[in-house]
Amino acid sequence: PSVFIADMADEALFQFLHNEVIQYVNSAESGETENGRCVSKLENMGFRVGQGLIERFTKDTARFKDELDIMKFICKDFWTCVFKKQIDNLRTNHQGIYVLQDNKFRLLTQLSTGKQYLEHAPKYLAFTCGLVRGGLSNLGVKSIVTAEVSVMPACKFQVMIQKM
Amino acid sequence: MTVHNLYIFDRNGTCLHYSEWNRKKQAGISKEEEFKLMYGMLFSIRSFVSKMSPLDMKDGFIAFQTSRYKLHYYETPTGIKLVMNTDLGVPNCRDILHQLYSTVYVEYIVKNPLCMLGETLQSELFSSRLDSFIRALPFFSVRAA
Repeated sequence: PSVFIADMADEALFQFLHNEVIQYVNSAESGETENGRCVSKLENMGFRVGQGLIERFTKDTARFKDELDIMKFICKDFWTCVFKKQIDNLRTNHQGIYVLQDNKFRLLTQLSTGKQYLEHAPKYLAFTCGLVRGGLSNLGVKSIVTAEVSVMPACKFQVMIQKM
Repeated sequence: MTVHNLYIFDRNGTCLHYSEWNRKKQAGISKEEEFKLMYGMLFSIRSFVSKMSPLDMKDGFIAFQTSRYKLHYYETPTGIKLVMNTDLGVPNCRDILHQLYSTVYVEYIVKNPLCMLGETLQSELFSSRLDSFIRALPFFSVRAA
């Protein structure tokens, strides 16, 4: 029973902190381009956190065979460690573009199911985009990560691998 | 057996939410006046109950009933007040109101960064979860007894 409570507290703690960071960055950037700058600040924060997280999560795993293997790790182990669930669907064109679909993204489930608050959704995805980009970067993969939402709480993260 | 309606007030007396499922008679005054009346009554009765109690108080005011309906009251430590009117067959609702608070209000309002404290609750997700919760109660049926 006490372990269960600790789990619940962990998740709530991260969610509340994440939401406050977004409010803080949002209020610090009240200007014409506010949404864009806000999103990139959050994404950069996520990048640094992602870099650190991936070091911890992979310290005991074997080397990855290839890019696809890395993406599968992100979808399964990485997503489970951070969001307590896996990515629901991974698609790729085998030419460096991957689409990760999460049908019940943990940071959006409390916002709405459907269209309400849709215009605010990008802010809530920015940190996670950075998280993925940072994780990949420390695994030696340079990428650009974007996200889109049409019906909450489902969302898609698009990863474009940059050839170095 | 049925639930007639539900009010949610915050610490300052603002009515955050009101829903009805089975109300046959209106109060005859505007909704704002009705909310003020309800909140004022609760405030007075709580202080009355604690003053006039012949024993040490435990939970304070819990419910009142008339010959037609029963009003259940639950207040959280943070000052959120839930008021539910049901018909007479319904037993003590404190646990249910507490569960409503923790699984619906906390989940969908407190954890929703776009819901500001002190404002009426706009989240559709909250409204629909609240509605499903009430409809799923064992003593809820659309036709009053």
